[in-house]
Amino acid sequence: MSVVIHAYDDHPHEQQHLSSRKKMVIDIHAHPVIYGAICQDKETVAFRKQNFGLYKSSPTPMEQIFRVLDHAGVDKTVLLAEDYSSRMGKPLVSNQEVRSLVDLAPERFIGFASVDPRNESAADELRYAFQELGLSGLKLNPSHLQMRPDDERLKPLYQLCQELGKPILFHAGMSWEPDSPSKYARPILFEDVAVDYPDLRFCLAHLGWPWIDETVMLLLKYRHVYADTATVYMGSPKDYYRQIFMDHMDPGWLQNNLFSKIMYGSNYPRFRQERVKAGLEALPIRDDVKRAVLGENAQVFLGWKEDRYD
Amino acid sequence: MIKLTTHEVCSTEEFQMVIITEQVKKAVEDSGIRDGVVFIITAHTTTSIMINESLPCVEKDIEHTLERLVPHDGDYVHTRMLHSYGTCSGNAPGHLKSMLCGNHMVLPVQNGKLVCGAAQDIYFVEFDGLKVRKYFIEVMGEN
Repeated sequence: MSVVIHAYDDHPHEQQHLSSRKKMVIDIHAHPVIYGAICQDKETVAFRKQNFGLYKSSPTPMEQIFRVLDHAGVDKTVLLAEDYSSRMGKPLVSNQEVRSLVDLAPERFIGFASVDPRNESAADELRYAFQELGLSGLKLNPSHLQMRPDDERLKPLYQLCQELGKPILFHAGMSWEPDSPSKYARPILFEDVAVDYPDLRFCLAHLGWPWIDETVMLLLKYRHVYADTATVYMGSPKDYYRQIFMDHMDPGWLQNNLFSKIMYGSNYPRFRQERVKAGLEALPIRDDVKRAVLGENAQVFLGWKEDRYD
Repeated sequence: MIKLTTHEVCSTEEFQMVIITEQVKKAVEDSGIRDGVVFIITAHTTTSIMINESLPCVEKDIEHTLERLVPHDGDYVHTRMLHSYGTCSGNAPGHLKSMLCGNHMVLPVQNGKLVCGAAQDIYFVEFDGLKVRKYFIEVMGEN
């Protein structure tokens, strides 16, 4: 099976960074729900906070966001749209809003689309998001959609992503969002997707916590399955990652087996990007594995770079 | 007479002492108040208002002493997911340093001017940056 690589013609900012990709740091998992640039009216902000479960959090000025990225040394951030419009009437964050954020800083932001598979137009909307809005991947949360990953309504989206070489970032494991049962996102449920769409690159976010071992099984067995580190649900990132990667797993799991499969993801704004990165950097692991986790694996996942599958 | 103004500051470091003396002087002069006091008050729980001598060595000693008292990597209860925010806490050191340093300072106003000692500068101190922050300057007195 071959990996589909984009020609970059319509994404010059991606090509621009290829020369420095070995040192690039990419946060693969951020929600722009309270980014100031798309929080222009109070009604929208209240709608997002309630349905995303952010409650007392406040919109963040873009100046602050860029300062944090500069200070933390995060070169690029994947911004995720969220669409449950069949139940909510409108997306939490629309594809167009993500596009507008990417346009603010195309050298810093990568946009992922979202569509609600319960809408008949979902596949058409996704094709539009990829081909007209230039978005780079798809975000799906089975828990919030309340459907299993093998639901028939999702299959046209998988087919389209595989055909166009676009990755999917799945929410997996516990969802902090309200009205989002975790049973729909248990990692083992994604195995059929890996079997039926062998060229489809997809990421199980949050390491599928608390079912981390199921996630590890899929990472080991399936070439195009990845996971991200957006999983600090308890304690500080430094303590938590040590517990997960050094205690729960044997240290050799990450360094010798999963080094090409784990990606830095913060789950901003639930966790601060700079602190998650610092927690990963504090792990007592080889520097080449840290570089892979912090950015190189994301480049493969995004289709910018071919994997070295052995 | 009371005159309240709101000001913004955004640090470039997680811990930063930002000198705001000139902003306070201007707010006092613009207030039209001739004799009284000025309060400088932070709007946050992980920042402080401080007065000290703006020497880099003193600033370093303040930072190092606070870090020694409240270590960045200490064992804190406030390191958990907060249901009320939907976000992880993890900024206990900022809260504790803010508690130690206080949320405000007060200085005299005389003849429409801020009265400061020769070695005194006023700082907005960020313990949990980088964030856009607010502080208040409230001048109270007679015109």
